Amino acid sequence: MTARLTIQHADIPRFTQAGAIEARTGQSDSRRVLRLAQSESAAMLPAVHAVGVHKVLDDRPILRDLTFDVPAGCYAALLGANGAGKTTLLRLLSTLTTPTRGELEIFGRNSRRQGALIRAGIGLIGHQSMLYRDLSALENLVFFGRLHDLSEPGVRAMDLLDFVGLVDRAHDPVKTFSRGMVQRVSIARALLHEPRLLLADEPFAGLDAPSVDTVERLMAQLNEQGMAVLLANHDVRQSLRLAERVLVLRKGRLALDAAASELTVEQVLREIEQR
Amino acid sequence: MTRAIRHITMLTLKDLRIEARGRQTIGLVVVLAVLIVVVLALGLGSGGGSGGLTATAILWVAYLFGGVLIFEKTMAVERHDDALAGLLLAPIDRGSIYAAKLLANLVLMFALALVVTPVGIMFFQFDLSVAPGGFALVMAVSMIGYAAVGTLFAALTSSTRLAGGLLAMLVFPITLPVVLISTRVLANLFEHGTSLAGSGLALLIAFDLMFLAASWLVFDVVLEA
Repeated sequence: MTARLTIQHADIPRFTQAGAIEARTGQSDSRRVLRLAQSESAAMLPAVHAVGVHKVLDDRPILRDLTFDVPAGCYAALLGANGAGKTTLLRLLSTLTTPTRGELEIFGRNSRRQGALIRAGIGLIGHQSMLYRDLSALENLVFFGRLHDLSEPGVRAMDLLDFVGLVDRAHDPVKTFSRGMVQRVSIARALLHEPRLLLADEPFAGLDAPSVDTVERLMAQLNEQGMAVLLANHDVRQSLRLAERVLVLRKGRLALDAAASELTVEQVLREIEQR
Repeated sequence: MTRAIRHITMLTLKDLRIEARGRQTIGLVVVLAVLIVVVLALGLGSGGGSGGLTATAILWVAYLFGGVLIFEKTMAVERHDDALAGLLLAPIDRGSIYAAKLLANLVLMFALALVVTPVGIMFFQFDLSVAPGGFALVMAVSMIGYAAVGTLFAALTSSTRLAGGLLAMLVFPITLPVVLISTRVLANLFEHGTSLAGSGLALLIAFDLMFLAASWLVFDVVLEA
């Protein structure tokens, strides 16, 4: 069974949670207030700044000389054929691996030297859920929340489960969930620590149409709140509809970097398929 | 330091909670280890191999194979659905992930020893009452060294198709000195009443420290591989 995704709250648990926490607990949370201040100053910097980025795996160049920026708060789509290097680029951006050559900065922080700081500000939705199947949705979120040093991981986890419409299944093991429900918990996990950049690697893969619609809306709402989104996707039409910017990778090189409004589906397909 | 200890505790408890929920690893490992002891006892025949050296050697065979299964299974939990990436994305020291995995593996290995040791004692008429504390100490110190190497190599091999087989091929030769010293120390203790002081225990501790330090240092690189 694939449950239809429903947004139960008009308001997403904001990534400016300091006020909400203060209101709920009566205590100020200096870490979060500090993070908020940092996020405001960091808003001036591009979310992603890549200069001459190369990545070689097993002696094979996967990414070649990538130079591009993704402005803060921008919704960008990353397109390309299978094997073009989309997943590798997202792994670089999430600091799961480092560039072989070139410089990569996330909100002004160098990916080689400031990995931990960068990780505190990014959320990643991958091909796989990155969840523990034997733990419940709530246990997963509380566990990851604690690793991110959240002051109230239980409250945050329930807020996010409410946001993704799974609060009634909070105590059920993830292994009992449908693909769509797992994807929603995965989104909640990526948002736990209030990231400023959301990296999504084909988040619609395997979802039914209503679930795709809801995940689309969740991501659009997060972007409206100021979160930069980089969406790796195969669906050109959907990407042009959702994103402001389009980046096309072809054989590890940046083949196109343009505003979505200036492009047609045919143009993008031509760039992807060109030999 | 406090933060690292908190992370290690959380990660260890997570592993143990997952194991407690499914009991897949410990159930399988205990059955395998008991079978090894029983088959070897029957193969050696009644009285064919009683005594400290034989008993501890056969217990080590059970611990070695049981241990490899434990290391493989606890790391497989992280590879399922790429949960390991979720850990790597958290702003925590990657050494904490190693330390937590090692602790969880040790808890499971000690649980295995608690079940398998009495079976070995029964089949090999091994009189543990001569030095129960010495036996526990030597085994515990040896298992720390074995688990230190096993945890590291499990992380390395878990993403390969050969996983368990490759893990055994890598870990057994590297930890052979630990097993040999441990068996010899226990044989001397139980058959000749030799004191533990200066008996090789210090060498076992030195192996532990060396394996722990090296594994902690390279774990980050292994995870990226």
